[in-house]
Amino acid sequence: MPKSQIVEPTKERQAGSIPFAEVPLNQYQNDLAKEKETYGEEALLGIYEDMLLIREFESMLQSIKTQGSYEGIEYDHKGPAHLSIGQEASAVGQAFLLDVNDHILGSHRSHGEILAKGMSAIRKLDDDSLLTIMKDFLGGDCFRVVEKDGASDVKQLARDFLLYGALAEIFGRENGFNRGLGGSMHAFFPPFGILPNNAIVGGSADIATGAALFKKVNRKNGLVISNIGDASMGCGPTWEAMNFASMRQFHELWEESMQGGLPIIFNFMNNFYGMGGQTAGETMAFDYLARVGAGVNPQSMHAERVDGYNPLAVADAIRRKRELIEKGEGPILLETITYRYSGHSPSDASSYRIKEEIEAWQSFDPINSYAKELSDAGILNEEGIASRKSDVVAAMTKAFGLASDLEVSPRLPSEKIAGLMFSSRKRESYDPDRKPELLLAHDENPRVQALAKKSRAGVIDGKPVSKNKVFQYRDAIFEAALHRFETDPTMVAYGEENRDWGGAFACYRGLTESLPYHRLFNSPISEAAIVGTACGYALEGGRALVELMYCDFMGRAGDEIFNQLAKWQSMSACILEMPVTLRVSVGSKYGAQHSQDWCALVNHIPGLKVVFPSTPYDAKGMLNTALAGSDPVIFFESQRLYDIGELFEKEVPAEYYEVPFGPPAQRRVGKDITLITVGATMYRALEAADILEQKYGVTCDVFDCRSISPLDYDPLIASVQKTGKVLLSSDACERGSVLHDIGSKISQLAFDDLDAPPVVVGSRNWITPCAEVESDFFPQPFWIIDAIHDRILPLPGHQLTTNPTTGELIKRQRGGV
Amino acid sequence: MKYDFAVIGAGPAGYIAAKKAASAGKKVLLVEKSKLGGVCLNEGCVPSKTLLQAAKTYHHAKHGSIFGVEAEGLTFDFPKAHEHKNNVMNKMRDGIAGLMKKYKVDVVEGEAKLLPNSQVEINGETHEATDILLCTGSSPAIPPIPGVDLEHVVDSSGILLRETLPNHLVVVGGGVIGCEFACMYASVGVQVTVLEAMPEICPNLDPEVSASLREGLAKKGVTFNLGAKVESISADKVSYADDSGSNELEADLVLVATGRRPNTQNLGLEELGLDIDDRGGVRVDNRGATNIPGLWAAGDVTGQAWLAHAASRMAEVVVNNITGRKDHMRYDSMPAVVYTSPEVAVVGLTKEEAEARGIKVKVGRIPMAINARYIAENPDETGFCKVVLEADSRRLLGVHMVGGACSEMIFGATAMLETELREEEIEEIVFPHPTTSEIIKDVFMAVR
Repeated sequence: MPKSQIVEPTKERQAGSIPFAEVPLNQYQNDLAKEKETYGEEALLGIYEDMLLIREFESMLQSIKTQGSYEGIEYDHKGPAHLSIGQEASAVGQAFLLDVNDHILGSHRSHGEILAKGMSAIRKLDDDSLLTIMKDFLGGDCFRVVEKDGASDVKQLARDFLLYGALAEIFGRENGFNRGLGGSMHAFFPPFGILPNNAIVGGSADIATGAALFKKVNRKNGLVISNIGDASMGCGPTWEAMNFASMRQFHELWEESMQGGLPIIFNFMNNFYGMGGQTAGETMAFDYLARVGAGVNPQSMHAERVDGYNPLAVADAIRRKRELIEKGEGPILLETITYRYSGHSPSDASSYRIKEEIEAWQSFDPINSYAKELSDAGILNEEGIASRKSDVVAAMTKAFGLASDLEVSPRLPSEKIAGLMFSSRKRESYDPDRKPELLLAHDENPRVQALAKKSRAGVIDGKPVSKNKVFQYRDAIFEAALHRFETDPTMVAYGEENRDWGGAFACYRGLTESLPYHRLFNSPISEAAIVGTACGYALEGGRALVELMYCDFMGRAGDEIFNQLAKWQSMSACILEMPVTLRVSVGSKYGAQHSQDWCALVNHIPGLKVVFPSTPYDAKGMLNTALAGSDPVIFFESQRLYDIGELFEKEVPAEYYEVPFGPPAQRRVGKDITLITVGATMYRALEAADILEQKYGVTCDVFDCRSISPLDYDPLIASVQKTGKVLLSSDACERGSVLHDIGSKISQLAFDDLDAPPVVVGSRNWITPCAEVESDFFPQPFWIIDAIHDRILPLPGHQLTTNPTTGELIKRQRGGV
Repeated sequence: MKYDFAVIGAGPAGYIAAKKAASAGKKVLLVEKSKLGGVCLNEGCVPSKTLLQAAKTYHHAKHGSIFGVEAEGLTFDFPKAHEHKNNVMNKMRDGIAGLMKKYKVDVVEGEAKLLPNSQVEINGETHEATDILLCTGSSPAIPPIPGVDLEHVVDSSGILLRETLPNHLVVVGGGVIGCEFACMYASVGVQVTVLEAMPEICPNLDPEVSASLREGLAKKGVTFNLGAKVESISADKVSYADDSGSNELEADLVLVATGRRPNTQNLGLEELGLDIDDRGGVRVDNRGATNIPGLWAAGDVTGQAWLAHAASRMAEVVVNNITGRKDHMRYDSMPAVVYTSPEVAVVGLTKEEAEARGIKVKVGRIPMAINARYIAENPDETGFCKVVLEADSRRLLGVHMVGGACSEMIFGATAMLETELREEEIEEIVFPHPTTSEIIKDVFMAVR
């Protein structure tokens, strides 16, 4: 809580009631003459053409999925097709007035939105810009196909490019907008302001919020629309996103030039069904979805319901909402009602709705109704309708012919995916032309001044430096963060208690003094939104350093970490970068929900880099590496280590340096056994190594696996080739820990050199008990020695105090503990 | 006292382990709550074989006419046979006691209770041992049949104490033990009926072996009722149900031989956290190690093999491991014998077992009757020898015999399996002629 805001008991305890801003429903009044005067006939006809284009695109996919052919061309499309036949007016009406700088993010049912936004951008961009975009995108691979025998008219060429690029993407082809790695549910095209669509329901809510945050923080033009379905209102992260976008601090705490809510429209394409569940009436509490806005902020998020069967009503709403956003009145909640005639997917037999309902909506078909309106106004006649229809069929047939032809549109060789899992680019700054906004010169920062007086070495003359005099692990985090704040103007950091408090573990203490609110702020306790917005912030082109206070809270951000943070670089063929560093802190002493090391969960997910430094030197060097890269990094820290000094390197340099990801750090050189640790357990393994040497004459190679993925196995293998024995230990629960992954690979890579199987000593497969008996749960030095004695190398005279036998291992596993 | 090695149970696992560990220089404690030698020597293998030999001798005398031997006034003095049995047991027990003395094993009589930290309490006294071997054997498993506790209903231990012959013996359970007693009593003229719940006796054996054994015993006068589930026992009747419905048999002696269960009670095992399987056996790895550091188990208490010689071998494996020699159990070359007449002797995999493991096999089978020595000595008996080979390598996987005294030659097949011999190598082995063992060489002619 900032000290400038006082929680006044007299005010808080006052009686009263809360007024709600009204939520309008379908207030648009048809006046075609006026619209014609405003936009001109050509623009109004364009709306009709774009709706026809979408209808034909979706009908083509329907035909392929259900009949295996379109216009006589046969094709077997194995992938998904979530079609939006019937929803065309919502997409086209929305895109009608959007600028190229306005960005949309969508859902699994967003083909229509892509085409509508694409056509809107094509109409607004000049020919030179269009040609440049098409020629530059993916080295011109997509353009070369449509350019051959293509139209001379650039806009027509661009339409063919849009159709082909989208269709090739849906068909999983190398020339697709995302090299075929995104597919139907994830296709996007940033040059036209189309950001990723998302196959996770509501997935775009917090990502779009992050994109809007980027626009605001970096003073960029344009707004962001999150196109999500009515059912996504049932998803927690959607609510987190709406709250995040509405935080009062934007109005009350951020500096004057930054005041105002986020420039975002949460647009719910309400087609009344979440797959087969009817939202209003069955699965949700609301009657009108727009009602929810009233629960979020005093402005009811300027929520309203718009008739998505009338493109002009939608366009009108977007125009009005844009004005609000430009006045800092965002975020906006829009409920665009619409209806899909087609099933959720081609396998959907619509068993959950009656035929009459579909027919009733078809009687108001948005394309026919609009055509009739134009005809009544004398803008369109039968001939015009027929020629436009045959034009879209011809365009579609051409695009389909090219996209379905394996010679013209080959698939990306699968092996190339490996090279696209990470962008692996060095990015000192995501906006080198801009000067970072700071409140203090580096040397004036109070913590920088305080650290100047600390000992950067943890050991002097063989004696450890006392805690209050030594440069600590938490100081290393601070230095790396500050360096990047001072280098990259796009970098922001947020999480719970990040400002004022300085982070729950004081890593950020002193940053508040140097940074304006918009670069360092407290987030709500919304882990999904913290990670999801960071993804969106990065996809828009900025660097985010976000924090989950405890590793255990990762569960709250499961989708955002596993499906969003990890996947978007590869699903975009690395067109997009994901420079997000997610700091998570592994606790202890706080019981079962605050003490877990979940490296294994993220190590399992392709697309994430996972590191766990255990020394101040590595903490600074590895955070520097993370914050200079372009990839998502899960940065584990241990609460056992925040106050330790550097014991291995001579000192923690004050200057900038990087510790590369991959190589493990060798902390001790021996000859008899290799100990491999992850995280804070390293210090206990060293204690065990001391005892082994002093008592049994056994010397150890001790490796600190500070980088879990990527991991360079060469040093580990070389050690095992020397010792023939390996034990791995960490504070993670034994079952499924990353140690098993590493141990298993060592078995494969050095099988002939091993005298005994690799042994894993992890925490018990229990809940973490109370602090007083934690030593029964977390690996201790004598656990390591016992396991060596029983399983690897009998130690003469050693007395076991634990039960490391293989029989006990089997018994525990059989019991699931 | 502090020992290197404490052995709980002095059966064929225990005394072998004690002797072997002591001879390797270990200070050894051997604890036995009853008699040295365990079930094998006192209530099982040894006494039953003595009585079987008595019955066989009577049978040969009675049926020697084909050899020109006629006996008149032939009698069977059962108490006398028991006397011989007791003498054998005493002699063997003395032998074990002498052996323990020779190797300076401390033998303590009493019930042991295992305590944490490698400690054992016996008769109120606590001893410590670096390693402990649990080999407490097994006891007959008595099913909860009404009437099973009547005076004339006995288990395999109780029947060995009966010195009078019944008119009609009903054996519940056609396993190895049931068949041996059925054979013995039938050989001396007692009417015997075996009630077996399964469709065949000795279901763990090669199906042809089981069938041949059943036919051989039937010739001796044993009646088999298969698929028969015993429902109750009364003072003079046994009621059972089979496909034909409910039936009754008159019986003045009933032997319940429906299997055994490991002895794991009252030893403090649960408190120790010892890993015990659902059938009550102590779980061990192939070295005999349990899940408790320093605690090992061997023999019937593990619920594996249920054979005295398997118990001894398990004990040897344990001792080898604690004395620094790597060793492990190989159950695929564990022989098994049924001491009936005819005898059954098997080692290795049956065709069915091998195929269940995905091994392609070839099988050879010849009747014992082609062997000169065999037909000379066993004119009335049938029997056969069967081998199972791995199809590609022609490696020997199993030998299954029924007939004569085949138990005495199964060790040869065991050695072949242990050394993983193939057909061509076995062909080079010379078998003395004329011996019944030649059947193992000749059987390869029939492999296809």
